[in-house]
Amino acid sequence: MPVTRVLYPLYQLGNPQLRIFRPKWFLTLVRPGKELPSDTVQFRIPLEMTKYDVKNYLEKIYEVPVGAVRTRIQFGTNKKKNHLNQRVKRPDYKVAYVQLAQGQTFAFPDIFPTKERAVAEGSMEELQEKFMEDEKQRQKPDPRRGGVTEWFGL
Amino acid sequence: MAASSTVGRVLSFCKQFQNSLRISSARNSQQCTSTVIRNQADLYRESSTHFALPFTSCVSQCRTLHTTVSRRGLGDFFDLPENWGETTVKSGAPWTAKQLRTKSNEDLHKLWYVLLKEKNMLLTLQQESKRQRIQMPSPERIRKVERSMFRLETVVKERETALRLLQTGQEKGRPGDWRRNMFGYVYWYRFKEYAIPWYMNKRYKRKKFYTPKFVEPYIRLRIEKYIRGRVRRASLERRKQLKLKEKFPHMKAPAL
Repeated sequence: MPVTRVLYPLYQLGNPQLRIFRPKWFLTLVRPGKELPSDTVQFRIPLEMTKYDVKNYLEKIYEVPVGAVRTRIQFGTNKKKNHLNQRVKRPDYKVAYVQLAQGQTFAFPDIFPTKERAVAEGSMEELQEKFMEDEKQRQKPDPRRGGVTEWFGL
Repeated sequence: MAASSTVGRVLSFCKQFQNSLRISSARNSQQCTSTVIRNQADLYRESSTHFALPFTSCVSQCRTLHTTVSRRGLGDFFDLPENWGETTVKSGAPWTAKQLRTKSNEDLHKLWYVLLKEKNMLLTLQQESKRQRIQMPSPERIRKVERSMFRLETVVKERETALRLLQTGQEKGRPGDWRRNMFGYVYWYRFKEYAIPWYMNKRYKRKKFYTPKFVEPYIRLRIEKYIRGRVRRASLERRKQLKLKEKFPHMKAPAL
């Protein structure tokens, strides 16, 4: 995105509130690391966004009823060193905990469920799988020996 | 009584006629837009009917065909459930500036929000895949959305500039002026609003937009330094070429 330094009009008492026509803020809904109450959603938001911005953003764009918003700033670690032994900083970000109103609850869904893959007939993958199965069968010890190790006996 | 009933009948007839007209026209418009839309199908997946409409550029038609409203709330931060767990998700090409220029301002405004939601969804997906250490399905979508947004921004800026030029003759959105500072440099000064008039404003008056007389020799020295550097570099190059010529007489002269 190009950085367009917008000059906001000077606010004086009685002026209309600032309006943003094309917001350039992107929220990321994240799975909470620590357990949160069921009505709380965790977001990663840009540093310059405020609580009121988050509230308006969610209410106007996503039409989600927002009760309260709490924010904190997460320090991005600078522990890592590069090959020149210089510190490498990870960018900071703001975390917003949004409490939903009207008794709404939210649980982060499992968006990577393990799906059954239908392997096409006569394809390379199918052949490979068959080969692997055969190999496994071959590697198994002889069941007639009853679990006795191979080096024992004649 | 009788009069009112006849009036009512006429009204209802009119309404029916209007409805049929609307539907037929909307159909036509959809047919012709479908070819354009096809490659952007992913950008407004869930709201295809909802979003294909603005192309008709007629408010009444939008109303008639506004069948589904995508209000999934926080569900908009996630992909469609049938795409969950897929390794690749199909997506079309990003919007080109040419395509965007044919749209009305209203459509562009709507499209911005569609793209914004899409990008939020993709960022959420990316973060979650990072967390679970899984490869993100079709990560190229992020770049596509970014490019579309960038182009949309440029198109809107073009329109704004055109309008400003017509109305005020100003080329730039923020007025400014060439000014010189204390050291004799000339730079583009961008105007800014102040709550206090300039003649009362101490902070503004602290700024110096002039070059004092005694700085002039230093400006000349600066110019001299610059010219000397340029000459030195040129002569160095020339001498180098001469030396090379001496060593390798059959060398081709470089294209200067």
